[in-house]
Amino acid sequence: MTTNTQNVRNIGISAHIDSGKTTLTERVLFYTQRIHAIHDVKGKDGVGATMDSMELEKERGITIASAATFCQWKGYQINIIDTPGHVDFTIEVERSLRVLDGAILVLCSVGGVQSQSITVDQQMKRYNVPCIAFINKCDRNGASPFRVIEQLKSKLGHNAVAMQIPIGLEVDHQGVVDLVRMKAFYFTGENGEVIEEKEIPDNMRKMAEQKREELIDSATLFSDELTEAVLEEKPVSEELLKSAIRAGALKRQLTPVFMGSAYKNKGVQLLLDGVTELLPSPAEVVNTALDLSADEAPVTLKTETNLPTVALAFKLEDGQYGQLTYIRVYQGKMAKGDTVINVRTGKKIKIGRLVRMHADQMEDITELPAGFIGAMFGVDCASGDTFVSPGVTLTMTSMYVPEPVISLAIAPKDHKAEINMSKALNRFSKEDPTFKTYVNDETNETIISGMGELHLEVYIERMRREYNAEVTTGAPQVAYRETITQKAEYDYIHKKQTGGSGQYGRVAGFIEPCEEDFIFDSQVTGGTVPTQFIPACEKGFKNCMAKGPKLEFPLTNIRVVLNDGASHSVDSSDMAFQAAARGAFLQAFPKAKPVIQEPIMKVVVETPTEFQGPAMGSLNQRRGIILGAQDEGVMCSIEAQVPLAEMFGYSTVLRSLTQGKAQFTMEFAAYKQVPQAIAEEIAKKAAEKKQKVA
Amino acid sequence: MLNMDSEAIPNRRSRRQMRLAPPRAEMPARVIHLKERNLVMLKQDLIMRNPLRLLGHESDDIIGPGRFGAVLARAGVGKTALVIQIALNSMLRDKNVLHISLNEPVGKVNLWYQEVLGRLAQMYQVTPLDQLWDTIVPHRFIMTFQVEGFSAPKLDERLTDLTSQGIFSPDMIIIDGQPFDQDVSEVLGELKMLAERLGLPIWFTVTTHRHEAPAPDGLPIQLSPVQSLFDVAIALQSVENTIHIKALKGCSQAETQPQLILDPATMLVVDSVKQ
Repeated sequence: MTTNTQNVRNIGISAHIDSGKTTLTERVLFYTQRIHAIHDVKGKDGVGATMDSMELEKERGITIASAATFCQWKGYQINIIDTPGHVDFTIEVERSLRVLDGAILVLCSVGGVQSQSITVDQQMKRYNVPCIAFINKCDRNGASPFRVIEQLKSKLGHNAVAMQIPIGLEVDHQGVVDLVRMKAFYFTGENGEVIEEKEIPDNMRKMAEQKREELIDSATLFSDELTEAVLEEKPVSEELLKSAIRAGALKRQLTPVFMGSAYKNKGVQLLLDGVTELLPSPAEVVNTALDLSADEAPVTLKTETNLPTVALAFKLEDGQYGQLTYIRVYQGKMAKGDTVINVRTGKKIKIGRLVRMHADQMEDITELPAGFIGAMFGVDCASGDTFVSPGVTLTMTSMYVPEPVISLAIAPKDHKAEINMSKALNRFSKEDPTFKTYVNDETNETIISGMGELHLEVYIERMRREYNAEVTTGAPQVAYRETITQKAEYDYIHKKQTGGSGQYGRVAGFIEPCEEDFIFDSQVTGGTVPTQFIPACEKGFKNCMAKGPKLEFPLTNIRVVLNDGASHSVDSSDMAFQAAARGAFLQAFPKAKPVIQEPIMKVVVETPTEFQGPAMGSLNQRRGIILGAQDEGVMCSIEAQVPLAEMFGYSTVLRSLTQGKAQFTMEFAAYKQVPQAIAEEIAKKAAEKKQKVA
Repeated sequence: MLNMDSEAIPNRRSRRQMRLAPPRAEMPARVIHLKERNLVMLKQDLIMRNPLRLLGHESDDIIGPGRFGAVLARAGVGKTALVIQIALNSMLRDKNVLHISLNEPVGKVNLWYQEVLGRLAQMYQVTPLDQLWDTIVPHRFIMTFQVEGFSAPKLDERLTDLTSQGIFSPDMIIIDGQPFDQDVSEVLGELKMLAERLGLPIWFTVTTHRHEAPAPDGLPIQLSPVQSLFDVAIALQSVENTIHIKALKGCSQAETQPQLILDPATMLVVDSVKQ
């Protein structure tokens, strides 16, 4: 195994659902001779694509977990992370983007830039992942790759430029013209493995020349040498043009666009060439870690094997030999028999077995140098953990994890299911940071929470299939919150002198709305509240934040100011002041005009234009505010903000309204105040629930 | 000191009471809740201080139902910023605005609104912007079309979709990005009929060109064939470092009124006097 990172590419393939990324990955593996037969996602042979190894994925035709796989192309080693396309699993996408050096953005030549592509593109921007685009499905009716390029520019703000033009579209799609080499490429043979290089057909020459001009024009921005050559009207060499395009792509200022049809085996090999020629090697990407010993100051990592090891566990899987941990090594190397430390727990770990993954087969290796992606066995950790050499205190940046917005009560059907359920929950919450589980103290119910209805549904399904745990589910619950809207003062004395030692504490001040979740501000002067009791006051107030006094939703955005009080030399204690704080909060809270807030989701519905009316009507019925409708010829997309509470079961409603032709995505937008009528209803329900518990 | 204060307070209070309680026997008093008060006052404030109202001589909307207005300028001078201010001005008065953009996606148009409102709020020192935004957003609907796919019948169809289900019924339409370089008399004729039938005013943005001399009436040449359809035409002209707002047609900008300009830094309309 080589350690030269120059020839390594860690790439991801991300796209909107049903743009064909799993099919594309399948073809890539076939041409790189990792697999020897092609099985399609919803193929008739029932085998399913190689990357979709989970049973559920095969059934639903969607990819849930990102399997990492390894292949070789023309002397380059390519690690591919197949990422899920549904918005409910974006944490998976984000986590994979973190370990990638480059990405292929797959777009459908008919659907173009769809809502999910926009989300994925924003994530790529956040992690600064350079990308190339692949316009897939050029064989489909209504294919229009140049419209998609326009959309890349207008909707995603990419400086997109065509590297190829298609030879024939829809059923006539035969191949592509490479604008760098100025040659036509046809793909023949049973699976398109034979590439024929020919002269450009005469009827396309003019267009090819014009598009090449555009390509050179965009590339001149990134190379002075190229600009000079163009100005002096010298011929532009292939290498010169490619290096200029590469420079632009690495800075994310130019997006080279490839096209073809993975399903019809057109253009995939040229895309692979593009990956090796235009996307960065691990050494060309700047990765930073946080130094725990220096107040989390950022440290730049170097992709060198002789430095101390820093590696990140980005994905866990439950295999037949125990937990499989996918890791990316950023610095140093991981070798069999080495000892590393898990920074989060501080535990020492001995590396037993290292493997390189290919979907559900694996290959044993002895070491994993910096820049590579692999997996290890038998290590107990959570995803997102950092492994380092002893003595190093670096951690990879804590990944941005959104708070769950929906929760569901689940109960096992029988005793056997109970044990399996707890096993499954333990595993899932380790695998997926957006999936949380806890037991409600009062109702004794097990609650799971996550990012959407489908997110939780998939986990319940997995529990049933993989862990043989049958569970019954309650109605989904929305994560409401409470906050205050105005300043209110408090002045409270806690006094108790019945038996034993007495308790005495007085606190005074005010509470008011603020931006942060909770701020405690002590402005006590003259020691009216002795310094040693101030932390107790803070604790007392903070404990109140977990649950509102009336509705029992968590409280946020409250600033508590303590500016006066009194104590007693004998009877004052931590406990007394905590109780005083609690009493003071209960006194001030109702006066501060509390309101309930609910999560509002940004919903984008994509529908054929003829169903625009019913689709908008359905959003409107759900208390949605429709921001706008975007007409894109055959399809149109409607953007709206809708409360999550109203979105349950929406996919079924939308499907029946539009003959199954529309789809929608949603993501959390903001917490907003609940309208008065709804607030009263929630209060009523909360009161009922309280009674039931009592 | 203390004495003076205690004397001053009753005086001030009584004076204010006099001002606050005008003899209004004919109108029942409207109760404004304390929580609402800020927002209501704030909206009033923004409306009153908006220099745009200087352009409207009779109605608040500058143009009446079924009428056409045009904002003319060269590319990049601030047409969109101006029409959005016209739209916001209506939205603040609880009127529904349908914004049709022929070249920008919904997200971008939305950003324009946020930006302009943010700057307005900053200029007039209005603080709880979120609340204000939440109250005016329901009064706006953005539609985008591809230029070639836009036509009056299509707009009519969409509008019927919206109004029949009670989702949105506009009081005013803004069409941003209609190209006037080609022959537009047919499209505009149809739109005019639609506007008159529905009783809606429509604002257009018109891009003018440097190399074309204006027609004798001051309007750009590409507007000549359809100029009879427009009741109001406002031009943005950059003069030195400022952008002047000049009424070419329809607005009775009295001589005594201060000149309106568009501040190039914030793209907001201001009186030149205030500058």
